[in-house]
Amino acid sequence: MGTTASQLGKDLLSEYQELTFLTKQEILLAHKRFTELLTKDEKELQNTRVPTERILTLPELKSNPFRKRICHVFSTSEQKDGSLTFEDFLDLLSAFSDSATLEIKSHYAFRIFDFDDDGTLDRGDLEKLVNCLTGETDETRLTRDEMRQLIDNILEESDIDKDGTVNLSEFQHVISRSPDFVSSFKIVL
Amino acid sequence: MEEHNNVNFMRLLSDESNRSTVSSDSCEYYQTEIFDQLPSIQAIRPEQDRQCCWEASEAYQGGPEMGERISHGQLSRGPKVKASTQPLKNMVMCIQGKRDARDRRKMQISSIGFWESWRRSQSINWKRGWAQMGGTLSGLLPWQRSLHTIEGRFGVGVKAYFVFLRYLVYMNILHCALICGFILGPTTFYGRSNSSEPLKFGGSDSFLDFFLGTGYLDRSPVFFGFYTRGSLDLPCLNTPLLYLAGILTIFFLSLILVVRRTTVGYKHTWMLGKRYSMNVSYKIFCGWDFTIQDPAAATLKHSFIRNDLKLFLEEQSFSLRDAQRTLGQRVRLFLLRSVLNLLVLSLLVGAFALIYISTKKSDDKSKHYWLVSLVLEYLPPITITLVNLVLPHIFRKISSFEDYSFTMQVNATLVRSIFLKLASLGIYLFFSLKTGHQQCGENMFGREMYKLCIFNFLANFCSAFLLNYPRKLLQEWYPSSLLSRLLGKQRFLIPFYVLDLVYSQTVFWVGVYYCPLLPLIGTVILMGTFYIQKFTVLWCCVAEQRMFRGSSSSVLFHFMLLLGLIMAATTLGFNLYHQKDTNDQNMRLPCGPFGNGKTMFNVTETCVNSLPSLAQTTLRYLASEAFALPLILAEIIILTSYVSRGRANQKAIERLKDMLVMSSSDKRFLVKQHTTMLRHQRNPHRVRSAAIEEDVPPPPL
Repeated sequence: MGTTASQLGKDLLSEYQELTFLTKQEILLAHKRFTELLTKDEKELQNTRVPTERILTLPELKSNPFRKRICHVFSTSEQKDGSLTFEDFLDLLSAFSDSATLEIKSHYAFRIFDFDDDGTLDRGDLEKLVNCLTGETDETRLTRDEMRQLIDNILEESDIDKDGTVNLSEFQHVISRSPDFVSSFKIVL
Repeated sequence: MEEHNNVNFMRLLSDESNRSTVSSDSCEYYQTEIFDQLPSIQAIRPEQDRQCCWEASEAYQGGPEMGERISHGQLSRGPKVKASTQPLKNMVMCIQGKRDARDRRKMQISSIGFWESWRRSQSINWKRGWAQMGGTLSGLLPWQRSLHTIEGRFGVGVKAYFVFLRYLVYMNILHCALICGFILGPTTFYGRSNSSEPLKFGGSDSFLDFFLGTGYLDRSPVFFGFYTRGSLDLPCLNTPLLYLAGILTIFFLSLILVVRRTTVGYKHTWMLGKRYSMNVSYKIFCGWDFTIQDPAAATLKHSFIRNDLKLFLEEQSFSLRDAQRTLGQRVRLFLLRSVLNLLVLSLLVGAFALIYISTKKSDDKSKHYWLVSLVLEYLPPITITLVNLVLPHIFRKISSFEDYSFTMQVNATLVRSIFLKLASLGIYLFFSLKTGHQQCGENMFGREMYKLCIFNFLANFCSAFLLNYPRKLLQEWYPSSLLSRLLGKQRFLIPFYVLDLVYSQTVFWVGVYYCPLLPLIGTVILMGTFYIQKFTVLWCCVAEQRMFRGSSSSVLFHFMLLLGLIMAATTLGFNLYHQKDTNDQNMRLPCGPFGNGKTMFNVTETCVNSLPSLAQTTLRYLASEAFALPLILAEIIILTSYVSRGRANQKAIERLKDMLVMSSSDKRFLVKQHTTMLRHQRNPHRVRSAAIEEDVPPPPL
C-alpha cells in the first residue's frame, strides 16, 4: 500500500473511490493537500502519520471548535494522539463530503460530540458541547444557571427513554428532523 | 430467509442502541461483561484496533459489520449465504476496515458466480457515472462558487437569501421561454397586421425613453400594444388566444412552483416542529456550521449561537413572566399595544395617502423642464420606494416597545412590512388604473410597471454604491468619528432584502400581461441584483447578530412569494374584468391583440363555438357554477383523506416512541437479570468472556 507515495496508483485511486464518498478529483486534491503537510523525509516513507498539530493548520479545520475531537475520532493511531494517515484523512473528508448519507454524518457527529467516548451524551458531554459552541473563554460562556436550564431543556426534548443521557438513536432521531444538518455538517477542501 | 433476518437485525441495531447511566443500579449494569457484547454498544463504540488479528477484532466491529460477521460465520457452515448489499462506503469504519470487509465480500461474490459479480461491478460503474454527471452538472449551475464563499463567511442564513434570488432568476428564465413560445414566436413568424408601421429608432425618440418607457419603447415589443393581430387567424389558433394562453400558463406554472417550494419546507419545519418541538436540540446538535473557514466568521458564529441560546432562555423566562402577570399589568400592556397598533395604522394610512397624492401629481400633464418632468413621471415609484425604505425600520423600532418576545417582534415587523409593501403596490395599481383613459391604456399600465422595476433596481444600485459603500469607507477611515459611531456597523438584514425581492417579483407578475418582455427585463435585473448584493454583503457588511436558520426562513420567503403571486393574480383578474366593462362603454381606443371590438371574452367564445358540440357542452359545463359543487366536494374528500392519513402517522409516531422507551427499559431489566444470574453461578462462561476481553483494548477515554 503506497499510501503516501508521491503519486497515487490507479488501482488505489479506484479503490478509494469505491470505499469513500469522494470523487476522483476530490481524492487527488486531498492527496495534494496531504502531501503538502508532510516534511521532506516523511514524503519518502509510506503510511506516514501526520501529528494533530500539523493537521490543524489546514484552514478548513483551523477555526472549527471541534477540530481536536474530529482528529481524535478519525484517527486510527494506537496512542490515541489524534494523528492521521492519508487514509484516515480520506475517511474524514468522506464523512464530511456532500454525498455522504445522513446516517454516516449523524453517526460521526455523535462520536465527535461524545467527549468522553463512552457511547452516550451525558450532562458532562452536553456541557462541553455547549461551551465549544459558545466559545471557551470565561466571558463567552453561559452562566451556571443558564447552562443548567439549557441542558434540562435538551434532555427534556431529546432524551426519549428518560435515562438522563442522549444515546445514538435519540441523537439520530433529532438530527433526522433537521434539514439544515446535512448542509452544514460539511468540510470541502 | 437468511437475508431477511440479516436485514432485520441491522435495523434493530440502528434503531435501538440504548444505554443508560442514570440510576445507581444501572451504573452497575454497564460495568458488566455482557454489556460490552451488546450489539448496540458495539455499534457505537469506536473501532480502533486494526493491528490485532481479525478473529478477535471482528467481534467488536461497528454496526453493519455485525451483519457481515454473521454471514461470514455461516459461510463456513454452508453455501447458502447472501452478501450484505449495503455499499462499503456506507459503513461507519476506517478504510482499512472497509478493505477487510470487502475482502470477505469478494469471497462471497466468487461463490455467487461470475454473472452476479459482473452485474454488481456494472451497477457500481453506472452509479459512479451518474454521480460524475451529477457533479459536473451541479458545477455548471451558476454562481456556485460565489455561494460557497458567502456561505463560508456568513453562514447558511445569508446563503438562503442568495439561493432564493437564484431561484427567482430560474423562474423568470422559464417565463421568458414561455413568452418566446407563446407570444414572441407567433408574432415574428406570422407578422402583425398591415396597419402597423415598421419599428425604428428616430424622430422625437431620446435616450430618456428607456427610463420612461415612452416613445421608441412604447412602439417596441416591450409593451402590449405591439402585439396586434397577425395573419395567423384560425378560430382556435390566433395570436390573441396564444397571448392569453401564454400569460395563463405563466401564472399557473408559477403557482405550482411556489406552492411546491412552500410545502416542502413547511413539512420540514412547522408540521413536525410544533408537535414534537426539538428547538433547543437543533440549536445544539446542528448548531455549528462546519463549512466556516474564516476565523472571524467562526467568532461570529460563536456569538450567533451564544446570542441565540441566550435569546431562547430569555424567551423561556419571558413566557414564565408573562404567565405570572397581574391583571393591572395586563390591562396596561393591552392599552400600550393598542396605542402602538393605532400608530402603525395611522402610519400606513399616511403612507397610502402619500402614494395617492403622488399618483395624482404625476398624472398632471403640463409642460415642464425635462428633469422636472422626469421626476414627476417617477414620482409614484419614488414615493413607494421611499415609504418602503423608511417605514419597515420605524416598524422595527415600534415593535421593540410592545414588550413582545424577540421573535414575535421580528415577526410583527415582517408582517407589517409585507402588508405595507403589497398594499402600497395595490393602491398604486388601483389609482393608475382609474386614471388611465389614454390611447392605449394597457401600454400605460405596462409602462408604470416598467418604471417600478427600473426604479427599484436603480434604488438598489444607489443604496449599495452611494450609501452602503461610503458608510463602510467611513467606518474604515474614521472609526472613532461621531457619525460612524452613530451609524454603527452594517448588517445584512435578510428579511428586508427578501421583502425587496418579493416585491419586485410581484411587480413582474402583475406587469407581465401588459409588458410581455418584463420577465426578460426581470431576469437581467435580478442578475444585476445578485452582483450588487454580493458586493454589499462581501464588502460592506458584518454578519448580523440574529441568526436566521436556512430552512425555516426559506419557508417564510416562499410564503411571502405566494402572497405576492396571489395579489398579482387578483390585480390582473380585476383589471381584465374592469377592462371588459370599459370596453363595453367604448371609452377607450383598443390596442394590442384584442383590437377591433375583440375582448378576451369573445375571442374565447369564438374558439369554443368552433369546437364540436360535445366539447362545447363539456367546456360550458366546466365553466358554469354547477361544476363548482362537484369540484369542492372532490377537494373536501381529498383533503379529508390527507388529514386523516397525517393523524394516523402521528399516532404511529407516538406508538413508536413508546415502543422505544419500552424496549430500552426491557433491555435494561434483562441485562440486570442476566448479570445477577452470572454472578451467582460463576460458571465457565465468565472465563471465556474474560479471555475474549484480553484481546480487546480498553474503551478509549
